Amino acid sequence: MATADEVHISDNDLKPFFVLHKASNSQQHARKPVGRTSRKVKVNLSSSLAASDESQLLDDQLHKNSRMKNFHDAWVKIESTIKDVLHNINADVFNEINGWVQKSFGAICSSGKLDTNKATCSYPIVTDVTSNQIFTAFVVMSNIEFVDDLQTFADLGVHLQSHGCHVANLSSVDFSAKSGIGGCLRSLLRQILNSSTDAADISILASWYMEHDDYKNPVVVIIEDMDRCSASVLSDFILMLSEWVIKIPVILILGVATTLEAPKNILSSKAVQHLSPSKFFLGHPTDRLDAIIEAVLVKPCSGFLVGHKVAAFIRNCFLRQDGTLTSFVRAVKMAIVQHFLMEPLSFTVKGLLDEEVAEADAWPRQALDLPSCMRLSEPKSEALLSGASQMKEVLNLWSSVVLCLHEVGKNQRTTLLDLYDEALDPKLYNLRNSDHLEVKPDPQRPSWNYDMHGQSFERQKGGLISRTIRQIRDLPPAALHQLLEKWDKQTEGVDMIHEKVKELRLQEDDNLKEPPTRSRKQTIRNNGNSDRLNEKAAALITCMTREHMQPVECIPFHEIVCFRNADKLQAALVGDPRKRIQLDLLECNKFLKCSCCCTKSHNVPISSMHDTSLMYTLAQEHGNLINLHDWYQSFKAVISQKTVKDKHKSKLSPSPKKRKITAEPQIITEASAQARFCRAVTELQITGLLRMPSKRRQDYVQRVAFGL
Amino acid sequence: MEDHDIDEDEFEFSRNYFLAKESGKSGKKSARKLSEIDLVDEQDLRAEVSKIEPKHEKEIASLIDSYKSLYNEWAFELQYGFGLLLYGFGSKKTLIEDFASTALTEYSVIVVNGYLQSINLKHVATAMAEVLWEQLKLQPRSASGGSFKSQQPFNSRSLDDLIAFLDGPHAPENESFVCLVIHNIDGPGLRDSESQHLLARIAACSHVRIVASIDHVNAPLLWDKKMVHVQFNWCWHHVPTFAPYKIEGVFHPLILAHGSASQSVKTATIVLQSLTPNAQNVFKVLAQHQLAHPDDEGMPIDVLFTSCRERFLVSSLVTLNSHLTEFKDHELVKLRRHSDGQDCLYIPLSKDALEKLVQEINQ
Repeated sequence: MATADEVHISDNDLKPFFVLHKASNSQQHARKPVGRTSRKVKVNLSSSLAASDESQLLDDQLHKNSRMKNFHDAWVKIESTIKDVLHNINADVFNEINGWVQKSFGAICSSGKLDTNKATCSYPIVTDVTSNQIFTAFVVMSNIEFVDDLQTFADLGVHLQSHGCHVANLSSVDFSAKSGIGGCLRSLLRQILNSSTDAADISILASWYMEHDDYKNPVVVIIEDMDRCSASVLSDFILMLSEWVIKIPVILILGVATTLEAPKNILSSKAVQHLSPSKFFLGHPTDRLDAIIEAVLVKPCSGFLVGHKVAAFIRNCFLRQDGTLTSFVRAVKMAIVQHFLMEPLSFTVKGLLDEEVAEADAWPRQALDLPSCMRLSEPKSEALLSGASQMKEVLNLWSSVVLCLHEVGKNQRTTLLDLYDEALDPKLYNLRNSDHLEVKPDPQRPSWNYDMHGQSFERQKGGLISRTIRQIRDLPPAALHQLLEKWDKQTEGVDMIHEKVKELRLQEDDNLKEPPTRSRKQTIRNNGNSDRLNEKAAALITCMTREHMQPVECIPFHEIVCFRNADKLQAALVGDPRKRIQLDLLECNKFLKCSCCCTKSHNVPISSMHDTSLMYTLAQEHGNLINLHDWYQSFKAVISQKTVKDKHKSKLSPSPKKRKITAEPQIITEASAQARFCRAVTELQITGLLRMPSKRRQDYVQRVAFGL
Repeated sequence: MEDHDIDEDEFEFSRNYFLAKESGKSGKKSARKLSEIDLVDEQDLRAEVSKIEPKHEKEIASLIDSYKSLYNEWAFELQYGFGLLLYGFGSKKTLIEDFASTALTEYSVIVVNGYLQSINLKHVATAMAEVLWEQLKLQPRSASGGSFKSQQPFNSRSLDDLIAFLDGPHAPENESFVCLVIHNIDGPGLRDSESQHLLARIAACSHVRIVASIDHVNAPLLWDKKMVHVQFNWCWHHVPTFAPYKIEGVFHPLILAHGSASQSVKTATIVLQSLTPNAQNVFKVLAQHQLAHPDDEGMPIDVLFTSCRERFLVSSLVTLNSHLTEFKDHELVKLRRHSDGQDCLYIPLSKDALEKLVQEINQ
């Protein structure tokens, strides 16, 4: 590794860009297209494993490959699951929009078609003032963060295209004041004509449309984030389209992230006059998130799960910081990458993926060393054999209980996100098992114990799950009936629970069979009956949560499939340069691990420290302005001190106090001190921690960061 | 409880800020002047800077070495669609280039030096497209292989076309990637939002992978959620190296240099070398005029224009002005009012320095 001093400024360093190397040809030729499994995953993951004999090495290599394959399979599965879920959620709105598009197109066509001659002449024809209205859909997103809906609009485009429309997906980037109306027109032409044209002229589109389509299908222009477009460019664009709408049956779909008032506020009144608006609403992000959590994380679709801390971290990100689905999916992907990189045993995940768990899919022997297997009671060999199938069973039980709970909570708008988080908590599970979870409200209930992750207020009042269960007691009979029906559906295939749910439904049916003609007395009795049924349902779900809702982290071998390192995930997802770079400077010894700068107390500047680090430590003593003169003097004073080593050598000098005062300066010339000072200031400037002197205050630099 | 922590943090943060403000205002504020230090001559200072004896060389080398064990992890993340963003104190230039040349041999790698003052991203995109095209050509004929034949040269194509090419569909069995390495994606030449949006679009292309470094503590403010989550898809890695910012720091004026506003010959040379030959020649015309007329206040713009047009360096005043703006931005050229009221240009360097500069760029 070339160290600092050897790096001279080379030609390449001064070029704006250069080609470092081209893809190595040999590999290009050698690579044969043999399907997905042999992707060029040559990633060597076992840098820490010291394998001595060759067979071991070969084994490792095999394991690595299967880990990578597992990762790939798991991710492909998750990705497609997410896609399906979103597709299903959006299906209704998309169909609605498509219906509206076709209807609008019909309306345009009925108002009169033009012959080719008229249509391609260069000036617009206005036959009727009312006829140049553009049918416009305002699609309201229920999240101000439009990033989630980018994909939605892309999907909408594909959906409409599949129904024959000519679709162009534009965004606010196309409607910038800088490129003006030419910019959006060019990308419109580009997408619809499917070729690049330099001329930005709408008559090109008109003649193309006459030639290729001739009023069979509409042209749909989707603008995904209307709120961020340049107002004047968008208004001009609409005015222009309105002039041509008879020739080109164009339909606008505008994504609105703020309110329905926004279009009126943004667009000029002239442009608004030409719009004939309709409204559509996209789903709420929490609903979508719940659907995704259900499909991806609650039902083990991929042989990959996350632990409680990770779930809590992801939940916090969603609720507190980001609120977007995109970042949630990103977090899941990052988690799965980290998991397969870090967990050497993850090559066996396959067993959980298959529908039928084969006997051969036993966990490998190394798995017994996992911490979760230390307290196994059954014989080890059996545990290995049945480990995968047992785990699958427990996971299925867990997920059906969670989904049953979610059905209960749906009325009260309890999100699966919260339930999921609480259901994963191993501490709560242990508490529940010590007979904590009671249906009756208990004033003596001690507040739950939480660590630093994911606590919420409602839980301090007794836990979301127990609150949800309590709701069952207040359900009216009809709702209870529905609930039991849903439970019946959810628990299908999980025999242990399904039987009990069935039993309860039979009892319910009996109750209903009571003669319809009933006296007042009977009604009361009936109520009593259904109350009892409520009680029973509550008791059932309580029992289910207690016995079957075993969080993944309480299952033996869970390390193989479960990612739990929330800190690592956080570091990879959201870097914190402001804090970390300052810490680098203030605690440089932690990274450099040199013997010379080791001091007992932190932040004591000594001469052997890295110059910039030393300067930044010194800067902490100043206010928001640092006087350059003082700073330089203190820097010079410190670097002139003797290093620790030198001090040891000169131990003979009379008294330590005196030595400190008369510390013999090292031979540091003024020039070199100034040079070091300058370089350190430059480096601090590069990190953005300093602002350079202004003309008004030439002798001061300004500090930018205060505290970490 | 966490809420509480956050409040505490915020409180701490604002308290620190006001404490700092306070101590700045208090009567004890030092009013010492820089001029009280016996400042060394700028040339000597520059020479001295280049001679600074490195500290902790061994430790820094082993720290950087320790990151080698992460290369595989990085390559894996890169392969699966994440962009790598490396941060932490110290120059990461050598680290990233070492990573790219050892672990990314299967990708073509293009390096962008973001610390330079001006970078033409269209040229970068063109180079990427050319490299990718070569790569695709070499591949065994796939279904899409034939369609690349009738391509017009990349440098005459629009940016949208280039991006569309980079974002082309790829055959699942033979993926070709171009890896874009950007030193200092937060550097002065790339700091504007237009460049960042363009980079984000390039990064989101199916054939492109991105590795970048940042040094500025506020760099994340450059990106919105779409860029961070969808386009760049950053995976952060904290890798402090403590290596000196040699090349990255060259363009910053030395704080103790006399009149930090005046550029030294060295930086001027470097800036000039990064400009086009035409721009260099325009600068030379101005420099020669200044050397020939040392007592003049400067060269009027129209005189410069005529003399440049005679040499076929510029065709219109617009081109000349664009060159001049570039010069002015880098403080190579300044404007002052002539005694007869005309605006005229001069180079803020001494005669010796200017002679040396002209010599340097003539080489």
